[in-house]
Amino acid sequence: MALINGGHLVGKYLKEIENVDVVFGISGGHLESLLDGFTEYKIRTIDVRHEQAAAMMAHAWSVYTGRPGVCFLTAGPGFTNGLTGIANAYLDNAPLVVLCGRAPLRDDLKGALQEMNQIEVVRPITKWAATCYDIKRIPEYLSIAFRNALLGRPGPVMLELPPDILNIQIEESLVPMPARPNPKYTVHPDEADLKAAAEIINNAKKPLFLGGSGIGFSGCSGPLGKLVEKTGVPFMLLNYGRGELPDNHPLSVMDIGNLGLFFSIARFDVIIAAGLRFNWLLQFGQIIPKTTKIVRIDIDPLEINRNVEATVGLVGDAGSVLGQLVPFVNENDHGEWIQTLKGAGRSVLDNEHRIRETATDPIHPVRLVAQIQKFVGDDAIYIADGGDTQYFGLGFTTRQKAGVVASAAGLLGCLGTGLPFGMAAKLARPDKKVVVLNGDGSFGFNAMEFDTMVRHNIPVVCVINNDCAWGMIKHSQEVSIGKDRLQCSELGVRRYEKMVEGLGGHSEFVTKDEEIIPALERAFASGKPACINVMTDPTVTSPATHLFYQSLKI
Amino acid sequence: MRFSVLLFFLYRILQWAAKHNAAYQNYVGSIHDVKIMIKTADGKRGRLFIFDRGAVRSRSGGKHSYNTAIIWSDAKTGFRVMSSQSDEEQFKAAAAGEMKLDGMAFFAQWFNDGVKLVM
Repeated sequence: MALINGGHLVGKYLKEIENVDVVFGISGGHLESLLDGFTEYKIRTIDVRHEQAAAMMAHAWSVYTGRPGVCFLTAGPGFTNGLTGIANAYLDNAPLVVLCGRAPLRDDLKGALQEMNQIEVVRPITKWAATCYDIKRIPEYLSIAFRNALLGRPGPVMLELPPDILNIQIEESLVPMPARPNPKYTVHPDEADLKAAAEIINNAKKPLFLGGSGIGFSGCSGPLGKLVEKTGVPFMLLNYGRGELPDNHPLSVMDIGNLGLFFSIARFDVIIAAGLRFNWLLQFGQIIPKTTKIVRIDIDPLEINRNVEATVGLVGDAGSVLGQLVPFVNENDHGEWIQTLKGAGRSVLDNEHRIRETATDPIHPVRLVAQIQKFVGDDAIYIADGGDTQYFGLGFTTRQKAGVVASAAGLLGCLGTGLPFGMAAKLARPDKKVVVLNGDGSFGFNAMEFDTMVRHNIPVVCVINNDCAWGMIKHSQEVSIGKDRLQCSELGVRRYEKMVEGLGGHSEFVTKDEEIIPALERAFASGKPACINVMTDPTVTSPATHLFYQSLKI
Repeated sequence: MRFSVLLFFLYRILQWAAKHNAAYQNYVGSIHDVKIMIKTADGKRGRLFIFDRGAVRSRSGGKHSYNTAIIWSDAKTGFRVMSSQSDEEQFKAAAAGEMKLDGMAFFAQWFNDGVKLVM
């Protein structure tokens, strides 16, 4: 007879059924058996300094590995601290599994420590949330949680595990593990719809393929490559789709940037939008003329006609749909159109291209990005976190999947995600250089995670684009309420790198252009988590600021 | 010459709209001190448009400081494309390198969208 407690049952399920290798969180009394279960089943724990970072890391783990990320939150404040990360995963459709402690069931309604109705709080920002009341059903509940996180449109789930079931024991043979899940339940479009979409693509003169996070979560570089290479359609990959095909692919028009896309978007006669929402970042699709034919591919049928009416809608996993579409499309060549598009992009970005090549004092953020790229190259993972900073960071180029992520550019606009994403990226792909370009404002939200990086030896290099302000807000205020009435938008010169040094990381302070690359060399050579605090031109405003400002103007 | 005249009339139209066109008033009303230049590449011809809390002012010439500039390869091209009021022509000009943006590119789009409101 072998006894097992509830916490160990969780560890056993995670390891043996879901192949979970690493989880993110902070310890807590309510979770003691669970933590011991991680030890028992050799699951690596990354204990952070604030639970929001744990949720954000688990979210990012799903982006960089294609598998669900798992975080653990202790009851009460551990749970509430994690809410921002859960909300961010919800709006980003990321498969995040949250294991959460709670006050003992036996003490409900008595005023127990950290007693609160967590499930009702989290329900609106999860696909599924439940409490497990029976130790025997722990594997079953976990199985339901993972299925909900992964199947259909992905998203976060939360399973609440009270100490009443974590801390008691049961005969192990009475709790069989569910069969290893291998979900292949995909929805397929009708052949008639596939043919209709193919006809539109075959007749297109000025097409564009726009891929979003659904491309990344689908992991569909194979069928995507086949489709664009057969049809000759130029492509841009946004959000977590970035890098699914490399930026330097001959059909990529990533170099026209967001500005080039906005400038050109009314010129396309056909847009194939896959795994991409026409949300505020694309001005709800209002910038697309009614005459443009839209082939919309999404795993969620409700997305097909959202904001923009699709000419043809294809529902299903992006990779699956693209694979089915390939036999119906014709071989084509849109080389001339691609050159026209790139020419227009070059003219719109002419200024940025010149700045990239020019040393200035103070340092221009676009130049900073160019210098980082020059040193680090494109076989690396870049994360940009901030307001203006995320726009500048999208100027990195990559041949890594999800190789350029503006982590704060999701629907939650969640500043502070950069360092957790950077840590998860480095853990997921330890052989790749990982650079986080952080705004100085956003750096403050999770700066203590440098302690986590030092303890767990996660050598991420964080470059702070330090304009001494909440730049996007400051520049919006300058345009709207005037330079003489700025409110809560300035930060001042701060030596953030010294804080990192105090935590055991490598530090650099940069004020001149010629210091950037030597500082990067030393930072990577140190092998430590590193912070390079770069003072940049505080007057520079990104185009994203004005998009942001206009979006809030009523 | 025709390019400079076109820019002058554009200024007058926008100035009038800022006073009398409700949609345009709302569009430019909350903008503080944004300077948009339209000029030729050699800077010999141009006009600066200044938007400040609902007012539109202007100065002739292509040498003033600005937030954003729409730069035409030459006056003839600038006149041809601007007078066509065609986004397609503007796109073609950009693709051919005959029109470039400098400074805060977003404001060029903002300026053009404003012009569409009054034309």
